[in-house]
Amino acid sequence: MEMSKKIFLDYKRCIGCRACEVACEMTHGEARIRVFEFPDLFTVPFNCRHCEKAPCLNVCPTGALFRDEDGAVAFDPLKCIGCLMCAVACPFGIPKLDDENKIMDKCDLCADRRAEGKLPACVSACPTEALSYGDINEVLWNREGKIVANLKSSAEKGEGEKAYIVL
Amino acid sequence: MAEKLVPVVCPWCSVGCRFYAVSVNGYIRKIEFDYDHPTVNRGKLCPKGVASYQFINSPQRLKKPLKRVGERGEGKFKEISWDEAYRIIAEKIKEIKETYGPEAIAFLASEKITFEENYLVHKLSKALGTNNLDFPGRYCQYSNSPARTAIFGSSAATNPFEDVEKAELIVIWGHNPAETAPVFFGQYIEKAILDNGAEMVVIDPRSTRGHKYASLHIKPYPGTDLAIALAMLNVVISEELYDKEFVQERTVGFKDLKEAVKDYTPEWAEKVSGVPSEDIRKVARLIAGKKTALFVNEGMNQHVNGFELALAIANLIAITGNIGKEGVWSGVFPGAQCGFCAAMSGIAPNKLPTGKLVTDDAARAEVERLWGFEIPDWVGLDLTNMIKEMGAKIRMMYIVGGNIAKSAPNSRWVREQLKKLEFLVVQDIFLTETAEYADIVLPAATWFEKTGTAISAERRVQRTYKAAEAPGEAKPDWLIMVELAKELGLGEFFKYEHPDEILREINSVIPLFKGATPEYLAEHPEGCFFPCSEPGEGTKVLFKSAFKTSDGKAHLQPVKWREPPEMPDEEYPLWLTNFRLVGHWHTMTMSEKSPSLEKRWPDEYVMINPIDAEKYGIRNGDLVKVETRRGSVLVKAEVTEHVREGVIAMPWHWQMNFLTLNETHEKTKMAELKAVAARISRVEE
Ligand code: SF4
Ligand code: SF4
Ligand code: SF4
Repeated sequence: MEMSKKIFLDYKRCIGCRACEVACEMTHGEARIRVFEFPDLFTVPFNCRHCEKAPCLNVCPTGALFRDEDGAVAFDPLKCIGCLMCAVACPFGIPKLDDENKIMDKCDLCADRRAEGKLPACVSACPTEALSYGDINEVLWNREGKIVANLKSSAEKGEGEKAYIVL
Repeated sequence: MAEKLVPVVCPWCSVGCRFYAVSVNGYIRKIEFDYDHPTVNRGKLCPKGVASYQFINSPQRLKKPLKRVGERGEGKFKEISWDEAYRIIAEKIKEIKETYGPEAIAFLASEKITFEENYLVHKLSKALGTNNLDFPGRYCQYSNSPARTAIFGSSAATNPFEDVEKAELIVIWGHNPAETAPVFFGQYIEKAILDNGAEMVVIDPRSTRGHKYASLHIKPYPGTDLAIALAMLNVVISEELYDKEFVQERTVGFKDLKEAVKDYTPEWAEKVSGVPSEDIRKVARLIAGKKTALFVNEGMNQHVNGFELALAIANLIAITGNIGKEGVWSGVFPGAQCGFCAAMSGIAPNKLPTGKLVTDDAARAEVERLWGFEIPDWVGLDLTNMIKEMGAKIRMMYIVGGNIAKSAPNSRWVREQLKKLEFLVVQDIFLTETAEYADIVLPAATWFEKTGTAISAERRVQRTYKAAEAPGEAKPDWLIMVELAKELGLGEFFKYEHPDEILREINSVIPLFKGATPEYLAEHPEGCFFPCSEPGEGTKVLFKSAFKTSDGKAHLQPVKWREPPEMPDEEYPLWLTNFRLVGHWHTMTMSEKSPSLEKRWPDEYVMINPIDAEKYGIRNGDLVKVETRRGSVLVKAEVTEHVREGVIAMPWHWQMNFLTLNETHEKTKMAELKAVAARISRVEE
């Protein structure tokens, strides 16, 4: 079975430094990840979720969008006609219009970097590990393990209800 | 043309992150992350680190020496040749030396140039016969540094960053590392809290980026932190929570300290600082009971009473035994990547490169023997006093990579003073606000255009390598020093053809760096921890068995309350303080030329609490005038709960220093850069 590699967002760790945006901008000319800031100083980085049943991919009339070997929803700029049906279908509003080239632009999990064995740029930069990249189930098992360990140590300290709160 | 990955140290803050500059044909195209070495940053970078290839390529870089043709400060120059520039400077130096003596000349070195370059600025100033030598770092760690030196004999970080992950309590006091040192915050502080269960306490009048992890956030009025620190000492001593064995065996002066703080109860401190007494007690008890990593920075340093505050905090660290072991952390935390490069090469009006005093005859004789020329024995002027004496005692200034027209307190005054100089040389990468007042401007190479040594906040000594050619005729600072020395007839003392040769001389002159040789650092990109007396890892944890004082004990210092020099009154009813943004750097010389940063952090603003905003009829987004006795600025208002009532706060990178106060501490010469009295009013647009 093919692995499904994704960028997992651990909002709790994010400090809103926007290194991810700058790293993406350095790599692609335009940032395809955005950090949203809320009045309580809470910050949430957000990029394409590379959905398993990606609506954008399903509606693309030219086949410009496709799933690559790491499971990323990637695209072929030569096939894109800029109709932005993908943007209509995406539940998160991820695909955007590249004003200059008049085609769609979205996160491709840094296909070029992956081809060289490197991490996606935003993940490489993120100083807090709010962004992590890998096989999604592996990432989630690690997270689950960490949370269970935290629950155990809170229970030992007698702080039952103060246990690590997952966002 | 093939891409070349050149290993470099980050040119911004003092975390000491490593990465690669990707150079193509001597031109830096982008950066690449270093996941290949055991670096402090573990590959990670903050937005400044990522964007650091941008300002290098700015079309605004200085490319030729300039000579002033307009009025001082007008910014009118004509291009001249290096030969002419050196000739003019050498002639002027000679003329001023003959007319007023060498003591009329002052030098500023910099926390933004390499260790080797600082060393050369130091050497040249002494070769010319002046001890008027300082660097803009005077306004950085010069409360904490002298205070910790008085108590522990040395001010540097006690432990490596990895120890922070093992701490049980993280105290962040007047520091904002989530914004000013994000990689350090993410890789060490967050891990201590989120992965290892440490507790965190924040002491700051503002809510900062990291405060969501804090179990307690106490918000003193700016400049009143000393009252809290005194009350914490009072609690720890009166409740007998101090580490009795440690106090007994490793400190002296406890009785005097106890006597000095006996009346500073938390109730008293509450009245001064606006912090509930119960919270002060809570934090004091936590620090006494847990292995504590305590981080302070400019919110603590940049006050006239910062020295007393630093003493109080260092006393607290000592009596709670939070020093000299693993799993704790305290020390100075320089702002810039090379703050330690200046400090450790003795850039100060009273020091030798060895760190000993110019007034110490034996120490001076030792350096004279190594350098081969006579060194003046008088104590020179510090930066603020240099500015005060411009046109009087000081006739000429030579500034390398410093922008005092913006970074020193009371900018309007500084700029008036700069006009009084007979001769000013500024050596920099851009035409800074300060350079506009210069007679001669020399174009310098940037960090990635030269090889050299950097020293990080955790005392890590690392090498950075040349990845690009400087544009036009710009030259590295070390080379400018060498060539100027030759023009001045001092060439025999400055025979260097490569920074390696300078570093080898440092290895033999400054004992603490004996082992940090070019060869060792080339083989070990992760560097060594100074003191690195022999090639090898160096000293990771300081003070394990003894302090660096004469008798090896910590010398506890009695401290008294001291009011800030200016407090709110009827005319100026608010406290004004300032802070930094992750996307900007100091006076923005580099960050405003970095498009990815500039567009994300485009403007300054003033934070005001909703209660105060209502009082002064200010709504979010209004244009307001912020005013102190020194001047006023127009900015947009941000009405927010993230600053406490009674306090307004602005980022300092833009115009903040038009509002600050040039009054200094009599001993440390620290100015009041963080807490002044202000008023605010709405302006019709
Ligand atoms: S994976 Fe690459 S393209 Fe996608 S947001 Fe991150 S840096 Fe941008
Ligand atoms: S780089 Fe990481 S910590 Fe910084 S804003 Fe992006 S996700 Fe958040
Ligand atoms: S944290 Fe400091 S050293 Fe690291 S990338 Fe950012 S500015 Fe550079």
